[in-house]
Amino acid sequence: MPLDTSTYHLSHALLRLDGRRWNELRRLHAQISTQASADGSSYLEMGNTKVICTVSGPGEVRGGGGGGRKEGLERENAIVNAEVSIAGFSGVERRKKGIGGGGGGGKGDRRTMEKIQNVIAAAFTDIVFTHLYPHSTIVITVHILSSDGSILAASLNAATLALIDAGVPMKDYVVACTSGLTPPAADIGEGDASDPLLDLRGGGGGELRFWGGGGGGGGERVCVCVMESRVRVERVEGMLAVGVDGCKQVREILDGVVRAQGRRVVGSVVRQGGR
Amino acid sequence: MTSLKRSTADPYATNISSKVFVRSTKSGKVQKIVRELYLRQDIPCSSRLCSICLTNAPADANGFIAPFILSEKPAGTGNFPTGHYLVPDTNALLNGLDLFEQKTGFYDVIILQTVLEELRNRSLPLYNRVIGLTKSEDKHFYVFFNDFRLETYVVREHGETINDRNDRAVRRAVSWYGEHLQHSLKTSNKAKQCPAIVMLSDDKDNLRKAKAEKLSACSLSEYVSGLEDANRLLDMINASRQEQGSRTTIGQQLYPDYFSLSRMMTGIRAGTLHQGIFNVSPYNYLEGTVHVPAFDKSLLILGRENSNRAISGDVVVVEVLPKAQWKAPSTKIIEEDTLNKNENAETEEGATEAVVSEQERRALQEEVKKTHGNNIEGRPQPTARVVGVTKRNWRQYVGHIDSSSTSVATQGRRQQTVFLIPMDKRIPKIRLRTRQAEALFGKRVLVTIDSWDQESRYPIGHFVRSLGDLETKGAETEALLLEHDVQYRPFPKGVLDCLPQEGHDWSVPASLDDLGWKGRRDLRDLLVCSIDPVGCQDIDDALHARPLPNGNFEIGVHIADVSHFVKPNNAMDAEASIRGTTVYLVDKRIDMLPMLLGTDLCSLKPYVERYAFSVLWEISKDAEIINSAFTKSVIRSREAFSYEQAQLRIDDRAQKDDLTQGMRTLLMLSKKLKQKRMEAGALNLASPEVRVQTESETSDPVDVKTKELLDTNSLVEEFMLLANISVAGKNYEAFPQTALLRRHAAPPKSNFEELANQLKVKRGFSLRTESSKAVAESLDRCTDPKEPFFNTLVRIMATRCMMSAEYFCSGTQSYPEFRHYGLASEIYTHFTSPIRRYADLVAHRQLAAAIEYEQLDISLYSKARLEEVCKNINVRHRNAQMAGRASIEYYVGQALKGRVVDEEGFVMKVFSNGFVVFVPRFGIEGLIRLRDLATPEPESIFDAEEYVLRVSGSIKVKVELFQKVVVRISDVKEEFTGKRKIKLDLVKS
Repeated sequence: MPLDTSTYHLSHALLRLDGRRWNELRRLHAQISTQASADGSSYLEMGNTKVICTVSGPGEVRGGGGGGRKEGLERENAIVNAEVSIAGFSGVERRKKGIGGGGGGGKGDRRTMEKIQNVIAAAFTDIVFTHLYPHSTIVITVHILSSDGSILAASLNAATLALIDAGVPMKDYVVACTSGLTPPAADIGEGDASDPLLDLRGGGGGELRFWGGGGGGGGERVCVCVMESRVRVERVEGMLAVGVDGCKQVREILDGVVRAQGRRVVGSVVRQGGR
Repeated sequence: MTSLKRSTADPYATNISSKVFVRSTKSGKVQKIVRELYLRQDIPCSSRLCSICLTNAPADANGFIAPFILSEKPAGTGNFPTGHYLVPDTNALLNGLDLFEQKTGFYDVIILQTVLEELRNRSLPLYNRVIGLTKSEDKHFYVFFNDFRLETYVVREHGETINDRNDRAVRRAVSWYGEHLQHSLKTSNKAKQCPAIVMLSDDKDNLRKAKAEKLSACSLSEYVSGLEDANRLLDMINASRQEQGSRTTIGQQLYPDYFSLSRMMTGIRAGTLHQGIFNVSPYNYLEGTVHVPAFDKSLLILGRENSNRAISGDVVVVEVLPKAQWKAPSTKIIEEDTLNKNENAETEEGATEAVVSEQERRALQEEVKKTHGNNIEGRPQPTARVVGVTKRNWRQYVGHIDSSSTSVATQGRRQQTVFLIPMDKRIPKIRLRTRQAEALFGKRVLVTIDSWDQESRYPIGHFVRSLGDLETKGAETEALLLEHDVQYRPFPKGVLDCLPQEGHDWSVPASLDDLGWKGRRDLRDLLVCSIDPVGCQDIDDALHARPLPNGNFEIGVHIADVSHFVKPNNAMDAEASIRGTTVYLVDKRIDMLPMLLGTDLCSLKPYVERYAFSVLWEISKDAEIINSAFTKSVIRSREAFSYEQAQLRIDDRAQKDDLTQGMRTLLMLSKKLKQKRMEAGALNLASPEVRVQTESETSDPVDVKTKELLDTNSLVEEFMLLANISVAGKNYEAFPQTALLRRHAAPPKSNFEELANQLKVKRGFSLRTESSKAVAESLDRCTDPKEPFFNTLVRIMATRCMMSAEYFCSGTQSYPEFRHYGLASEIYTHFTSPIRRYADLVAHRQLAAAIEYEQLDISLYSKARLEEVCKNINVRHRNAQMAGRASIEYYVGQALKGRVVDEEGFVMKVFSNGFVVFVPRFGIEGLIRLRDLATPEPESIFDAEEYVLRVSGSIKVKVELFQKVVVRISDVKEEFTGKRKIKLDLVKS
C-alpha cells in the first residue's frame, strides 16, 4: 500500500497520493461537439474520471418525464431534465447491471444516480434562460464511462459544454469541482492539522469528508453546493474558498475549450462562405 | 465523426504517469487499481546548500514553507572527508534501524519515498520509528518524495521485479542528488565542498550496480566499521540477515513450515483454522493458550514444536489437533532454566539437536501419565498447533546474558554467540551475536528479536543498549519501565511549550470579568477540603458538604480542571494521550502531565484558588439524590488532609467547626451510599496491597506494611464513584455515540468453575455465580471462624477470576453491555483523576461540551478516533498496574535483603511437584517446589481431585489447598531472570 496523506504532512508539503499538492486540480481535458448526431455534446476527463454528455433540445415536450405532456405544454418555461447512467465497467469492479458505479451496492448506486440527476437538472434550470423556450424540454444525458471520484463535478462541467454546443443560452458557465479535508492527522502534535483539498479522487484515497461545489462562473455565484458528509461548520469556509478557487481554474479551462471550438466553427464558416 | 482520442499535444502529458497495481481485498477479490501520478519539479532537495530549490519551494494552505533540513556542513568520516548525506535503502533500514537512532552518528539522512513505502509493507513498527526520526529536529532526517519528482521517477520496465525497480529508483535518486547539489553549488558560486551522497545497502547486487554507476555506496557494516565505537555499533546490526548464506546449508529444519497466507485465510474463513493471541503460561514455558472466538475456552498449545516459533503476544493461526493428542493443562511447574541450563549457544551451529531436548521430552511424558485421571482438572482438553503467525508483536526485551551459555575464555574482541535470558519468563532465550560479551556480563541489556528461523531452536536478536549493572536501582527501574512499555523520557520541548507562560506564578485571575471566569461559578466561599494519601502532591479531588434549609445536604465533588490547561490536539495532549496514565512506582512517579500542571497549577492545593470542575448534588438524609448539577468553578481548598488526619479530626469530638461537621456529614452519607451499592450487588474484592516504607533520604526500603483501610478511604471512594456515575450518565445523554465510558463485563461462568470446585471440595461452600449479587453474597458466606484471613484469600482468588474493566466508546456497545459488574452500576466512567488518567481528561472535555461550557473538539466526535484512544489507554492502564506491582516486588525483595523471616501463609494453588503460598503480611506469593523441600526430590502423590499433595520419602508432609502454613522467607538472586526474588521455604504445615 502506498503511504497515506497524513504521512505526507511530514514534509509540510502536503503531497497527495497521486503527487498533487492540496490546491491542484487533476488534469482536465475536454472536447466539445463530439457527437454529430446530438444537438450538443461533449467529452470530459478529470483525471481518470471520464464522462460523455449529450444534450437534446430544446424540443417539444415528450410524453412522460417532467410531469406529463399536458402539464408541460401549459408551462411558461422550458423544463430541464437530466439522465445519468453509470457504465458497468466504470468502477474498479465490473457490475452486472449497467447502473453500477464507484462504490456501494446497487441501491446506493441508484441513489447516487438520482441525486446527480436532480442536482444537474436543478442547477441548469436556474442557469439556462428557460423562459425563452416555453412548452419545451431540454434533456441532458450523461454517461459516466470511468469513475475515479468527483463524478458529479465532471457531469456538471460536461453538461455546461454540451449545452453551449447545443447553443442553449445560459447566464454563465456552470463549473464544478470537489473540495474536501485531509483526515485529521493520525499522529497529533501538528496542531489542528486538517487542511482543505481540491478535486478529490475516488475511493482508497484516504481523504475524508468530501463535498461537491459548483460555482456559477465569473460572478462567483455558488449555485450548487452538495455536502456528501458531515463537516464541522468552521471548516466549511475554508473548503468553500478552495472550491471556488478550483472552479475558477475549471472555468478557464472550459472557456479555452469553448473558444477554440468557436474559432474552429467560425473558421469553417468563413471557409464555406468564401467558397 | 470526431475522434475522442486525446490529442497528443496535451501540455501535461510528459509529467503524468500512472501507477498500476493489483491488490486483493479482505473479502478475497482482486482489484486492479490505476492511479494517476503527477510528476513535479518543485519537490525540494531540502539541503541548506541548495539555492535552486529554495526559490521554488512549495507552501502549504497557510502559506508556510517548510525549513530545509539537511545541514550545510554534514559530518564527514574517514572515507568521506568532505561530509556526506546518507541514503539508506530498505534493507539497510530493516537491518540496522537501531544504528540510525544513535546519537553518535547517522545524521543528515535522506529517506526516499520508495524506501519508506517498502519499509511500511515490510514492518510497521520500524516504519513508525523512521517516521519518529524524521520528526526529530536534531537528527536531520528528510523524506524525499522521489517518486513524485520528474527527474527521479523510474518506470518499472517490462520483466523487471518490483525490488529491482525500487533499487533502481534508489540509485537514480542518489545520482540525481549528487548532480543536483553539484549543479546548485556551481550556479551559486559558493566555494563550498559538495558533500558525498552515500547509498547504504545490504543488497550485494544493488551495491554492485551502484558501483558500476559510479555512485558512492557501501554496506552497513562497511560503513559502520569506518566510525568510532564500531564494535558497539556493529552489534546493533540485525543478526538474522548477516549470516544467512552460511546457515541455510547446514541447518536442518527444526520447526515445521508455516502455512501460506492464502491457505490460512481460507482456513479461517472456513472455520477449520483459528486465529488468536498466543499466551504462554507464566508457570510453564512450554504451555501456551490461544483464545479464539469460536470456542469459549482457550485452546492449549503444548510443547515447542506445536507453538512453532510463536512468542507470547503474537497473533497466530492454529489448527486443532486430533482428539488423540488432547491433553490436560499441566499440573506441573516447568521452567526453562531447570531443563536447558547447560546449553551452549555456540553449539547450535552444528545443528544436530532436535527441538525437544531429551529432558523436555521426559517432562512431557510424565505429564501425560499424570493427566490420565478423569476428574475435571485432568480431563483432556483440546490442543492445537500453530500453523502460522499473522502478526508478530515483538518488542524490545530486557534481560541479561547467560554467563553459562558461552566460553568466557575469549580472546579480545571476537564475535561470539551468547544467550540472553529475558526478564519475562514467557519469552524464550534469545541468541545474540556480540563482540562485547565480556563487558555485557552482569548487565541489564536491551535487545531486539530479529527473526526466528526454522533451523534455529531459539530466536535470533541483536543488542540495542546496556542499561547498567544488574540489581542497581537505576537499571532495574529502567528495565521494568521498558518491560511494561512505559514512556519515561523527559517531556520534549514541544510539550513544555504548551504550559502557561506564567509558570509557577499562574493564578486564578482576580477580576471576575477576566475571560477565565467566563462560565465559571464562584465557589470560593465553600468549605472545601481534600483527603488523599500521605505526601500526595497531585491532588485531583476535593469535597464539601453543607446542610440546606430544607434538611437535605448539598454535596460537592471538585475535580482539578485539567482540560482548561490541556487543550485538545496540541503537543501536550498528544503526549498525554500516548502516556495514558501516570505510573506509580515505589520510589518514583512517571507523570502523564508535566510537573508544573500535575503538582502545581492543576493540583487542588489548600489555601490557594484553583480552577475546578464541580459536581454538585442535593442529597437527602437517606442518601437519595434529589438532583445533580455540573459546572466549571473556582474553589479554594481549606485543608489538604491525609486519610489518617481526616479520620482523627472526624473522631475528635472536641472539633465542632463547620469543616469537620461537613466531613462528618460526608462520612455519614458515604456509609449509606456504600450500603446501597452493596445491596445492589457490588462486589467487595480484595487484592493484596502493601506499602513499602522507605528511608526518607535515600529511599532505601526499610519495611513492608499492608495497606490499612480507614473509613475516610471509603468516604472519598464513595463520592468519587458517585461523581463518576453521574458524569457517565450526563455524557452518555449528550453524546450517545461517542461518550467515553468504562465497563466491566460479567465474567463467563467457566472462569469461576475451578474456584467453585475448590471451595466445594475443600470447605463445602457453594459459590453462586449467576449475578454479581450472588457472587457477593456467597463470598460473604465463605468464612472460617478460626481463620479471619480465609475470606480475604478467597476474595483475592475470586478477583483473579474476573474480567478486567475497560474503557470503551459508547457507540460500540449496546446499553446493557455498559454495565460495570464489580460496582453493580449500569453506567460508569472515569472523571475524578484527570491529572493522572487520560480517560478522565476526555470525560472532562465531553462534560464541558455537554453543559455547553465549550465546543467539543472534533476528535471527540469521531468514533474511530475514540476507539483508538480507548485501546491505547486500556493497554497503558494495564501496563501501569503491572509496572507498579513489579516495582513493589522489587522493593519487597530489597527490603527483605539479607533478612530471614518466618511468616504465616496460605496455600493458593497446588501442582503435582510444588505449590504456591501466599503471605498476607508482605502481599507476596511464592512457589515452593518439591525439590526445594529436600534433595533428592521427594516422592509425592498428587490428588488433583482433592487438591492434596502428599509428600513421602525423606520428608513427610501433606499440603492441601487453603491450608495455613508457616514459611521461611529469605531472598535469593534468581539466576534465571537475574531478579532478586523472595524465596519461600516450608517450615511447618
